[in-house]
Amino acid sequence: MPLINLPAFAADLLADFERLGTLRVDTPVIQPAEPFLDMAGEDLRRRIFMTESETGKSLCLRPEFTIPVCLRHIETATGTPQRYSYLGEIFRQRREGANEFYQAGIEDLGETDVASADARAIGDAIAILSARLPGRKLNVTLGDQSVFEAVVAACGLPAGWQKRLIHAFGNSAQIDALLTRLSSPQPVTGLSVEIEALLSSGDDATLIAHLDETMEATGYSTNASRSPKEIAERLKEKRALEKTALDGRTLGVLREFLSLNIPLAEAPAALFAFAEKSGLTLDGALSRFDARVAALGNAGVDAKALTYRAAFGRPLDYYTGLVFEIVIEGSSAVLAGGGRFDRLMTLLGAKERIPAVGFALWLDRMEQALAQPKGEAAQ
Amino acid sequence: MTITIALPSKGRMKDDASAIFEKAGLKIVAVGNERSYRGRVEGLDNVEIAFLSASEISREIGSGSIDFGVTGEDLIREGLSEADARVEFCARLGFGHADVVVAVPEIWLDVDTMADLGDVAADFRARHGRRLAIATKYWRLTQQFFSAKHGIQLYRIVESLGATEGAPASGSADIIVDITSTGSTLKANHLKILSDGVMLRSQACLVRARKAEHAGDPLVAKIIEAVSGVC
Repeated sequence: MPLINLPAFAADLLADFERLGTLRVDTPVIQPAEPFLDMAGEDLRRRIFMTESETGKSLCLRPEFTIPVCLRHIETATGTPQRYSYLGEIFRQRREGANEFYQAGIEDLGETDVASADARAIGDAIAILSARLPGRKLNVTLGDQSVFEAVVAACGLPAGWQKRLIHAFGNSAQIDALLTRLSSPQPVTGLSVEIEALLSSGDDATLIAHLDETMEATGYSTNASRSPKEIAERLKEKRALEKTALDGRTLGVLREFLSLNIPLAEAPAALFAFAEKSGLTLDGALSRFDARVAALGNAGVDAKALTYRAAFGRPLDYYTGLVFEIVIEGSSAVLAGGGRFDRLMTLLGAKERIPAVGFALWLDRMEQALAQPKGEAAQ
Repeated sequence: MTITIALPSKGRMKDDASAIFEKAGLKIVAVGNERSYRGRVEGLDNVEIAFLSASEISREIGSGSIDFGVTGEDLIREGLSEADARVEFCARLGFGHADVVVAVPEIWLDVDTMADLGDVAADFRARHGRRLAIATKYWRLTQQFFSAKHGIQLYRIVESLGATEGAPASGSADIIVDITSTGSTLKANHLKILSDGVMLRSQACLVRARKAEHAGDPLVAKIIEAVSGVC
């Protein structure tokens, strides 16, 4: 289908993708809605355009490319490593701006050298934006969930708390609320005398059997949803933690970490100093972080132009490590966003774990930026 | 200008709404026979009454094809995006009480709050190979409450247009979001309301479509004043 509304720089962009050795793929505009809602959650429903097939199957207009490109990779049983590129229209309900616009990007699937693949994704995004938007100063912000995971683990927090904190990572309001909540004990109340007795007896088998019987008696299946064992385990965990609260020192350590916002070049030293001062062992995460900074240097990316913000993440469970965003200095419009999503391929049905990293370019915002005189940031 | 007021077309809601209007000095009489879907207000020539179903009233007030309506706040907030920008809640009428609540199986002894539910939802896929399923007809309210207010993203809505309370026991969903007035149906189905799980305390309201031509219209002001005066 010849498109006449493509951005003027689309041909150059495709040439960039080819020069970078990627395989350009296309995906249908009409997509099954399930994978998007399953991965991103129900909140997406009001931001995409949904319809139904005659047989009742939920369909949507392609809201992004990552999931379709990954599904295509799985369906075509293509080997890895493989770097895909795409350029096409996506469709979203937005309060402001058009509902259909162009996006382009690269998905790098199956590269096991994580540091190099991360560095290449960031480097490619910067190189493409610099070439298409000459003379603009780009600001790159980078975050890494795996460092936060290491900090939380090294603080020796209970497993349940670690999971909650990691789950809230990237949403600052949520993480603030959670830290406040964990700072005061959460008593477990409202249990019947019988359950209290079973709980304090420590006899797990009888507790589980009791839950099992109650479910049977009240017409609830014991395997369709949460099982008696799962409920008993979580109840025990809550009971064990009910008098525990996040201590002031740990809270201080977590808040200090989350407030880090520094040039990437200084980040390895700053993280090392933070770990030393706080008495945390973060060796694995820090060496992976350092390896990425080194790989960026090898890829010719100037780490001085990059900022590391420790609290920066995306609260979706398939993002696992690196995330990054690129804006023009003085503007808040994100021109490129990317990250590592090592968990997505298996969630979408891949038989084996396939490490993945990629980024998307917002072509409409790039066009707007081009329309602005140099040095004057688009708002 | 003629002002159209939509009232519920049947049941207790119809009787209660008529009673409130009569008390407010706006006695409603049917046009034609008792079962007619049109009416007027005694002594006010330029007011028309349309008897519609409660969910139609929410839709019509959103599109502005009627000026006032009497319907449940839950239906307005579920039916319209940015409800407060599009309609004005002029008066809460004191009947048709119903809470929109998050309810989970009673046997989930470890789940008392939305925070607990967030934990369970975060883990659900890893444990069960699917997202936590919520049966409801309140798509919009559920999304706002779970996603925006409590930061819970990982769940799926299973549309349920009737007997929602039965969904967890039948296995078609894990939990529900539904209306309850006395809680007895929930109890009968062995469900409990989370301690912070009341999403909306709804009741019948007089609502006005925000239309520019209402400004300075004495009839519009009179209707609002008369009805709010007796609630």
